[in-house]
Amino acid sequence: MVSTVQNTDVRQKDADAVVVAVTSDAVFDPGADEGDAFRVGLAFPLLQALQRVNERLLEQNPSESLLFDIILITTSSQRQQQSSQIMRSTRHHGLEVGRFCFSSEDNFLESLLENNVQLFLSTDRNETSQASQRGVLSALLDQRAASSPSEQLRVLFCGDTVVQPNAAGPMSTIQHDAQSFPAQLGKMRQRFGMLDSPLVIILMVSQGGRDSCSSALQVLRSCGVGVDEAYCLAGAPQSPILSLLHPHFLLSDDFGELEE
Amino acid sequence: MSEIKQDAAATNGNMAEEKDWAAAKAAFENLKSNKPRPPKPQYAVTIAVSSRALFNMVAERKIFQEDGMETYVAHQQEHESEPLKEGVAFPFVKALMNVNARLRKLYPDSEELFDIVLMTNNHAQVGVRLINSINHYDLSIERFCMTGGQSPIGYLKAYMTNLYLSTDSEKVTRAIDEGIAAATMFTQSTDTELSSTQLRVAFDGDAVLFSDESEVIVKQHGLDSFFEHEKQFENKPLAQGPLKCFLEALGKLQRKFYAKNERLDCPIRTYLVTARSAASSGARVLKTLRSWGLEIDEALFLAGAPKGPLLQKIRPHIFFDDQMFHIEGAKELGTISAHVPYGIGQKYHKGKLIEQPPKKE
Repeated sequence: MVSTVQNTDVRQKDADAVVVAVTSDAVFDPGADEGDAFRVGLAFPLLQALQRVNERLLEQNPSESLLFDIILITTSSQRQQQSSQIMRSTRHHGLEVGRFCFSSEDNFLESLLENNVQLFLSTDRNETSQASQRGVLSALLDQRAASSPSEQLRVLFCGDTVVQPNAAGPMSTIQHDAQSFPAQLGKMRQRFGMLDSPLVIILMVSQGGRDSCSSALQVLRSCGVGVDEAYCLAGAPQSPILSLLHPHFLLSDDFGELEE
Repeated sequence: MSEIKQDAAATNGNMAEEKDWAAAKAAFENLKSNKPRPPKPQYAVTIAVSSRALFNMVAERKIFQEDGMETYVAHQQEHESEPLKEGVAFPFVKALMNVNARLRKLYPDSEELFDIVLMTNNHAQVGVRLINSINHYDLSIERFCMTGGQSPIGYLKAYMTNLYLSTDSEKVTRAIDEGIAAATMFTQSTDTELSSTQLRVAFDGDAVLFSDESEVIVKQHGLDSFFEHEKQFENKPLAQGPLKCFLEALGKLQRKFYAKNERLDCPIRTYLVTARSAASSGARVLKTLRSWGLEIDEALFLAGAPKGPLLQKIRPHIFFDDQMFHIEGAKELGTISAHVPYGIGQKYHKGKLIEQPPKKE
């Protein structure tokens, strides 16, 4: 049984909002226990960055409806039973979570679909893989997310996938779907200027060269996504560059895995 | 600078990297075009060039400075299909491509080639025009770093850069401080016809190939002390300067031509153009080069005479010097010059100590 609970501490978002679901094991450190409240996990800077984008959007337009709507979702029966502790910890850390979905491994996918989740973030490869197969854009969070900035959301698009998406994957529909996460992200990005944006869109082309880079930039542009930073590698080693980029997550078809 | 590649070679056993490289290589070879495949960076001589060095963006720069970032980016987007004009590093890049073509013929399976990376802090939106321009001239540039406003300096090491060329002296100084060979390019005042078959690179000696230790003596104790000192320490090799590794990389590629009996027709030629004199202080320089196992094709000792007229005859695709005085002289007579902001020469102009304003953070 899934229960969805609104977080009354946080102003609820409109239907236009971009729904992002993050698993509780990403938000809270699964190992630790700070007495009553869980310790924050590796998605903490990510949540702060999402909140920062919302703050800046509202600063510019107090009646802005294109905001991030964050759902905290549990994906195991164990966590499902820790609902009060999770809600308490969320309040304790002042996280801008709009809703909680207390689901288990058996029904979290349904929760994602019912709540119109546009982006699902998890530390569990199995979970992101399942969600992606059901058409929900997903990205795997890893240790790198923990060292990403909290003042600026950095989203990395994998260029090779943008140019040649898997036929059934979520990235294949981005050019036709104005409500897709990338399209919404692009609209949000346009609310800010070239400099000092709390949201930065990065393109990395790992295998392709100049032509792939150019195509990827044009494809993204046609979805309304203006890229800020572009790195084209043509086979050069990725990890030195990734370690400088500090993306919060990577969007591609491989369930969004960052290179080891 | 070869340390960067050595480290990379050490982690060469990294499976994920090898997988990526294999995939990229296959993808490239499957393309229908005849474009040459970019080399494996760990073995290549990587030259990072800024957008303003590669292309003439003087007019666009003016828009940026006068009308701000948004107008500048919008302007670039509006003119996206118009190729930019050639910049000061353009002839150098074409010459590198020519060397690659010759190397590929002789060694079709080797990754020891020049690798050219566009290294710019422009926004990726401007990148489309840059890529279109590169396509227009059919330049062999497959790797890009467009940092969207941030300093590209951190990325130089990540892209395994052996030499960084920019028109922005602040960035170049930071690169040198980070131990990366770099130089600020200056446009020559008159055009010179350059060789299309041979890459010619001219280097100053002190504070470019060698450390500034001897220049310190000249500035602080005068020429006579300098001559005595150099004679006394003739057999002690000078310490290396910021461009020594680049000369070394060029030498390595030259030897590949010699090995195939192409010494007379080698498409790379190096020159030393130094104010030292052959009679008194020149020996130490030649002995230092020999101790490093490096060759230079022509060593020209000017004994203090101006470098401009000699460079006019050499016609290098690039001339590296640490002193602006020499850069200016070379420029005036049509040589493409690159300033290496290293050593004590930065504190002096025409022999006089410059008043330095406090460093900005």
